[in-house]
Amino acid sequence: MSIAPVEQEVTSAGADEALDVPWITLVWNDPVNLMSYVTYVFQSYFGYTREKSEMLMLDVHHKGKAVVSTGPREKMEIDTEALQGFGLWATFQKDV
Amino acid sequence: MARGFSRRGRGAGLRFAARLDEGERALLIELFNQVRDLIDPTDSVAAQSDSSSTQPVSEDPFDAIVAGLGADFGSVTVPDSSAELGGRGFGSEDRDPALDRLFPAANRTDEDAAREFRRLTEDSLRARKLSGLTASIAALSEVVDDRVELSEQKAITFLVALTDVRLVLGDRLGLREDADAERLQAIAEAVDPQEPAAYAIVVYDFLTWLQETLATSMLPRH
Repeated sequence: MSIAPVEQEVTSAGADEALDVPWITLVWNDPVNLMSYVTYVFQSYFGYTREKSEMLMLDVHHKGKAVVSTGPREKMEIDTEALQGFGLWATFQKDV
Repeated sequence: MARGFSRRGRGAGLRFAARLDEGERALLIELFNQVRDLIDPTDSVAAQSDSSSTQPVSEDPFDAIVAGLGADFGSVTVPDSSAELGGRGFGSEDRDPALDRLFPAANRTDEDAAREFRRLTEDSLRARKLSGLTASIAALSEVVDDRVELSEQKAITFLVALTDVRLVLGDRLGLREDADAERLQAIAEAVDPQEPAAYAIVVYDFLTWLQETLATSMLPRH
């Protein structure tokens, strides 16, 4: 992601969420998308809070990727298509 | 001189307003049009499978902006396999890497699932992006007195259109990972301002700045 002029502590997200749900949507880091924009997309598309959205955004930025949603395959495909529509580098896969 | 976006009013009167002069608007319209040409669905999934339809490099719509980048970006090696692209596209394909970034392979563990996803979604994704770029061009074309005023819905569309342009231009500039952005800044400072590469970077930075002001002003507070 493109750098923002604010330093923030990295926090982990989603590690223990919905372990019994077999499919996930991932967003991968890229050098173009802005931190503000990625946060905006998570807030506006998923309805996540600012706090959760920024946490996920920072995970993408620092760890290279983040699980942004979990659920049935069909829903993950819908999320992936929507996020790709926003220009985020989104993929879906079976959780392992 | 441009002034970035800020939030004005509330409720039905909510607007996102910026000041962009004629040259800046013309530049944005040109870039939106170039991305339109790149992602036009008539050159899409079906057409891509016909190798004879592959666009020659000389017709690259961003040539005008990034002409001469090769000389100035000698250290940038453009990845040519899906592995080097970090799984962006399919290795067997020969299509524009910018398209692989806009419409990346959607499953890194199951290529069949990724191909099926593309078959089902890419045309509609392209159509939505084209529609957004067209709407953004229209919004810029009706500006009076350099004042750009967008409703929230139009602002979302504009925000995504700016993303699409930055993704394509960023790809052309060799931005593949975060370290590339830092190298780009070093090049921008070292290169002759008259060079096409310097101009391309200035354009990219302008787009980044404009998008940052819009995204920031649109962020829900909670």
